[in-house]
Formats: sequence, structure tokens, C-alpha cells
Amino acid sequence: MTAVSKSQNAPKSQADLLYDLQLRKERHFRANVGLSWGILLLILVFLFSGQEITIGSQTFSTIKIDGQFILNEIDFIAGGLGQTLLISILSIMLAIVLALLAALGRLSTVPPIYAISTFYVSLIRGTPLYLQIFFFFLALPQLGIILSGVFAGVLALGLNYGAYMSEIFRAGLASVGKGQREAAQALGMTPGQTMKRIVLPQALRFAIPPVGNEFIAMTKDSALVSATGFVHELMWRATKVGRAQFHNLEALIMAAIFYWLVTLVLSYIQNKIETRLSKGDR
Amino acid sequence: MESKTAFESIPIVKVSNLDKYFGRLHVLKNISIEVPERQVVCLIGRSGSGKSTLLRCINFLEEPSHGVIEVDGVRVAGGEKGREHRQLVHDVRLKTGMVFQEFNLFPHMTVLENVIEGPVIVKGMDRKRAVDLAEQNLDSVGLLFKKDEYPMRLSGGQKQRVAIARALTMEPRVMLFDEPTSALDPELIGEVLNVMKKVALEGMTMIVVTHEMGFAREVADRVIVMAEGELIEDNKPEEIFNNPKDPRTEALIVRYRTGGN
Repeated sequence: MTAVSKSQNAPKSQADLLYDLQLRKERHFRANVGLSWGILLLILVFLFSGQEITIGSQTFSTIKIDGQFILNEIDFIAGGLGQTLLISILSIMLAIVLALLAALGRLSTVPPIYAISTFYVSLIRGTPLYLQIFFFFLALPQLGIILSGVFAGVLALGLNYGAYMSEIFRAGLASVGKGQREAAQALGMTPGQTMKRIVLPQALRFAIPPVGNEFIAMTKDSALVSATGFVHELMWRATKVGRAQFHNLEALIMAAIFYWLVTLVLSYIQNKIETRLSKGDR
Repeated sequence: MESKTAFESIPIVKVSNLDKYFGRLHVLKNISIEVPERQVVCLIGRSGSGKSTLLRCINFLEEPSHGVIEVDGVRVAGGEKGREHRQLVHDVRLKTGMVFQEFNLFPHMTVLENVIEGPVIVKGMDRKRAVDLAEQNLDSVGLLFKKDEYPMRLSGGQKQRVAIARALTMEPRVMLFDEPTSALDPELIGEVLNVMKKVALEGMTMIVVTHEMGFAREVADRVIVMAEGELIEDNKPEEIFNNPKDPRTEALIVRYRTGGN
């Protein structure tokens, strides 16, 4: 924490001086990293600026992109942001519920419950997400079950991420020591009360930062749902206009920028939550 | 039922023919003890002697393999299963307060929330009444001013005092202490022992597993020495410390004497 001895005019102690030096070094480093980021970004922009450069007899040109197309289609592509976020939010909610159930199942001493949990995780982790999305959208209709694109996408993403995230919740539950359960038992709490009042609150707190990571990853994997052709999210819109007008370059760059911005915002929010949690009571 | 006026003789805790196995390991061998109301019993012995296991069998944190535990009239046979057994175990736990070596405060709750959790959730006590009771007990362990802090911000000694207040707020008939000072820095042991002494003076029945021979000698009414899962000596502290009958008791006391006690 911050140095306390800020008494006026008193000479700084050795420790304070070292601490200041360390702070200055850190600030310096961060400033340089920021600057480098700026330069990398400029280079990237320059690469797509369509400039021609002549060095001696050689002429180089950077990639030219069609600004008019971008201006025309940016509204259409940006219109997919809502769908992308909607799918991600619905899927992560489903995934959290499934992951928690799977993690609790892993703790069960009842063989069928344990088996269901491990079977689910194994099956889902052993098959591609892309396949799962198609399965719900294209294979189920053959059985007479017809799901909308969004519903199929949310189901597939939720099931998939639930399987992966069960590991997070399992670690969260494992992070709550045996002593906590014993203390609750000694007070006379039932196993249900112990889980609800003592174990879960601590496990969930532990799980929040990694779940944030999964959510960020999911916003990007939601692009796979575009493959169904019926969910008008970012990726679907980018490929649609890109292909139709043979401007895939511009369209995909736009979609990429939108995804990037969304993940930047989400990472920022997650960072804030994480620092807040770490300051808390653990 | 006999009349309850003959105080000294009414056992509040009665352990009969208790056996405990961990797998093939026989850790408690046919133990029987009676603890009358208001008595302070210290259980001493080397580590591995079974003293903690015995304590934990009393409130069924360890399920006894055989034998009967009786606390304030609730009789529970060990090694059984089923709804009825669970209900009896629950009843016993309501009559016993437990203090652990590692405190085991709930880190996601403030001090006050820790202390009212049991009464409100388990006993269904009115929240306001629970808070009054909790504040009274926190005051008595000298930590009322910390009631809104989280456990992380307390010293080990303070944590243990909160844990004692938490157990007391359940209004148990007997308090069990499982090496309550063993996880503490030496300079913090005194404050916890003082609180325990106070609880003892207020008339609480206490069973204390401890290595604090000073506490055993000063506060206990009775000291029970264990070795290899058996009770090897059971006497007044003066007798145990001045006139040990069993060479293992003597070794134990000498060990702690030379250990600076």
C-alpha cells in the first residue's frame, strides 16, 4: 500500500526511496509500452492506407481498402453487435448453470450423478463446437425438433462452455477448506444450508474472474453461430455484404474491429471487478 | 429420571464404550467418560493419542464406530445411519459449541454476521434477538468494536475470540475446544486463554484438548491423559502434575516443562 511516512521535510527513509524508484521504473515501463502500442497501431493503419511509396526505382504500395464501402456498410455490420452480445449473454448464463451443476455432480458420491456429470463433460469436450452448433441446428430437424438459429446457437455455446467451465467451479468448490464445512456442521447446519450459506458464496467469488475470461472468449466464439445462416450477428453480416460485393477484406476488417473493441471493453470491466474482489475479504 | 438437584453428579456429557477406527487403525479404544455440569476438563496427550478424535466424536464431526454419546439427555449410538440418526446428531450439535484450532471463521461474512449465522439460520432465531445476543458475547470476548470487520482484518487471537463468541451465541450446554491456541503466535495465546478462563468462570461445561499445561493446571477441574487411543490417567490437575501415576504422563509433563512452561 502507499507509503505512510509523508511527514513534511523529513528526509525519506531508504525503504521509501527504494519504493519510489520502483514506482518510477514501473511508470516508465508502462509509458513505453503504451507508446509502442501506439506505434504498432499506426503501422497497422499505415499498412491499410493505400499509400504508394517510391524508394529509388522501386514503388511499393500498401493495401488499399475501399472507404466508400466501409461508410456504406458500417451501419449494417454494427447492427449485428446486439445479436452477438445477446447470444453471448444468454449462452454464458446457461453455461454457468450447467457448469455449476456439473461441478456439484463431480462432488457427488452417488454413482449415476457423478457419471452424468463426467459423461457430459467428456462428450462435449470431445467434439468440436462447430459440430455441436450444426448438430442443434441441422441434425435435430431430422428428428422433428426445429430450433431457431439463436436458440440452437445458445444451446450449443451454453452446453460447450458449461462443460469447460465446470472445471472452474470445481476448483472454486475445492478452494473452500474442509474447516469451513466442519464449522458449519458444528453450528448444526444441514448439508444444504452449508452449501448455500458457506461453500457456494466462497466458491462463486473464486470463480468470478475466470468466468469473466470465458465470457470474453464466448463473445468471439459466438461468431461460429453465423454458420447457421439464420443469426444476423456481426460475423454473419460481415460475410454477407463482403461476399455479395466482393469486399470481404473491408467487411472482415470491420467485424474484426468490432470484436476487438467489445473484448477490450469487457476486459476493462473484468479488470475492475477483479481488483475490487482482490481488495475484498479473502 | 432422577432429580436434577444433585448437581455434581448429573453428567452433561456421557461417552460410553466408544470405539473409533480409521480404516484398520484403532484410534479410540473403548473410551468411557462422564463430565458433570460446570466441570472444565482438559484432555492432554501426545499428538496421535486420539484426544482430538475423541473430542470430534462428541459432536459427530467424526462418526464413532461403536459406542454411545449422550449430551444433555440426547443419546446417540455411533455407527448408525438414516434420518433418525441424523436428527439426533443435529440435536447433539445444537447442545455443543465447537472451537477449532484453525478458527474456521467464515471469510465472506463480517464478525457480527459470523456470530449470528448459527442462531438465525439453524435455530431460526429472530435476527434482532440474535444481534443482541451476539453483541453481548462479542463484548464479553472484548471484540464488539470489531463487529463490522471481516475476519481477514483480525489477528489470530482476535479470530479465535470471535470463534468462541460464535459458539457461545448458539447457547450450548457444553463447549468443545480443539487445540484452540495451537495455531497462534505465542504472544496471542494469552488473550484466548483469558477468554476461555472467563467462560469457565461463568459456569460453562468445557472439554478442552490442549497443550497448554499452564491452563490445564490453573483452570481445569480435571485432567484426562490419553495415549494410544486410551485414557491412561484421569484426575485432579494437582494430582496429575505433582504426582503422575503413569510414566507416560510423567514424560508428557516433563516434555512441556522443559518446553518452557
